[in-house]
Amino acid sequence: MRAVNNNVMIRVRDVVKCYGELTALNNVSLNVYDGEKMVIIGPSGSGKSTLLRVLNRLETIDAGEITVDGAKVNDPATDINSVRKEIGMVFQSFNLFPHKTVLENVNLAQMVVRKRSRKEAAEISRELLKKVFISEKEDQYPTQLSGGQQQRVAIARALAMKPKVMLFDEPTSALDPETIGEVLEVMKNLARDGMTMIVVTHEMGFAREVADRIIFMDRGSIIEQGTPEHFFKNPIEERTRLFLKQIL
Amino acid sequence: MAEIKGKSPRTVIAVTDGVAIPSRRDPGLFTAWRVSFAGALLAVILLVTFKPDPYLQILKFLPDGILITFEVTILSILLALVIGLFTGLGRISRNRFINGLASVYVEVIRGIPLLVQLFYIYFALGRIVNVPPITSAVIAMAVCYGAYMGEIFRAGIESIHKGQTEAARSLGMTSVQTMRHVILPQAFKTILPPVGNEFVALLKDSSLVSILAVSDLLRRGREYAAQSFAYFETYTMVALVYLIITLFLSKLISIMEDRINAGGK
Repeated sequence: MRAVNNNVMIRVRDVVKCYGELTALNNVSLNVYDGEKMVIIGPSGSGKSTLLRVLNRLETIDAGEITVDGAKVNDPATDINSVRKEIGMVFQSFNLFPHKTVLENVNLAQMVVRKRSRKEAAEISRELLKKVFISEKEDQYPTQLSGGQQQRVAIARALAMKPKVMLFDEPTSALDPETIGEVLEVMKNLARDGMTMIVVTHEMGFAREVADRIIFMDRGSIIEQGTPEHFFKNPIEERTRLFLKQIL
Repeated sequence: MAEIKGKSPRTVIAVTDGVAIPSRRDPGLFTAWRVSFAGALLAVILLVTFKPDPYLQILKFLPDGILITFEVTILSILLALVIGLFTGLGRISRNRFINGLASVYVEVIRGIPLLVQLFYIYFALGRIVNVPPITSAVIAMAVCYGAYMGEIFRAGIESIHKGQTEAARSLGMTSVQTMRHVILPQAFKTILPPVGNEFVALLKDSSLVSILAVSDLLRRGREYAAQSFAYFETYTMVALVYLIITLFLSKLISIMEDRINAGGK
């Protein structure tokens, strides 16, 4: 599982993000390495989702610099769309396109962005739908699926772009307990395949099993980081201990 | 007019204009729509049968005008849809200039009575180019209705959850691709009822073009009345024909709405 090498995939330098008075990210710096599985934890409002969302410029930043696979995300000269197609993102609320079938959901960006033919796209889509165990639903509409199924389709949709990094923004928080497992299973498989992953989650079991590194954030700053072993056996910071005590 | 409620993420567009408001207590057969439609139809049939002079003559005189009314209405609504789409997009644009331009257009148009706009565009166009009255009538109607249509498009687009845009953009789609493949197809469902409503309203307002030497339904009626002096009888017939057409169209639109709502999401 530790397929991490020393190539920096994502470099975050002194990033500041404010919403009016509120500082969501306060001088955050971070490297994510090629093949690394990073899990970000922290209380709500700690800036962990914001950190994820600035990586593909769904949110702009007020200071600092972010590079993904060498491309400067916030440089106006950068074609953000070509950066984004290398960064898959999975949302808490799935955000599947409700007017399209499962297959069409996975096809769309491949055809529009990657300029693949419908046939070519469908071939890739079907393979991915098989990978997320949902092949039999390809002609259904998202509303006909359970939350867990929708989220697995959303993962397939993101993977169809053949991204170099996958971002997961609380992928299981909106799910019924009985469907969380199936989504985590898919994510674990993905980790095993060597995908670089950044996962914001409250699933500590997943963090323990999959993460190469865990980041604990609070009030816009990275408070502590380390291996799962470090985190769950002897965290140093008082705030980390407090948080883990509440959540475990 | 279509009423557009609130700025909540799930915008509801309520339609109350022209169409009979369905009441749960309506006893099956005698809905307001059925009574009006059957009544109008029956009135025309009775008048034409028992008093063919002048009613049958009037009815025979009108079809040319009905065609022109439809022509003006359909051309205007198509043009208004195009103007409305761009106005709606302009109204949500983050580009200050485009946004300002679209907003000023909407404000100005909404502040001037349609009749005044018709005169204005008719004579303003007449100064620059020599176009047939029907062309300037269509342009004037479309420019006016485009502003209202723009608000419908804006509300429709804003009613689509922000997550849809984020999902599309995070896949690398441009804002234009996102609009075309993700947002507009979904907004269409929200937009259709008020657009249908505007269509009926525009058909009624198209009677105003009769003052611009366009031989629409109303003008044909006026021409007939002027030569026969049968003013009351003529306008009775004209009113009934308008009523039948608008009631018929309203029904068609509500059936279409039901179809769309019943269909998959």
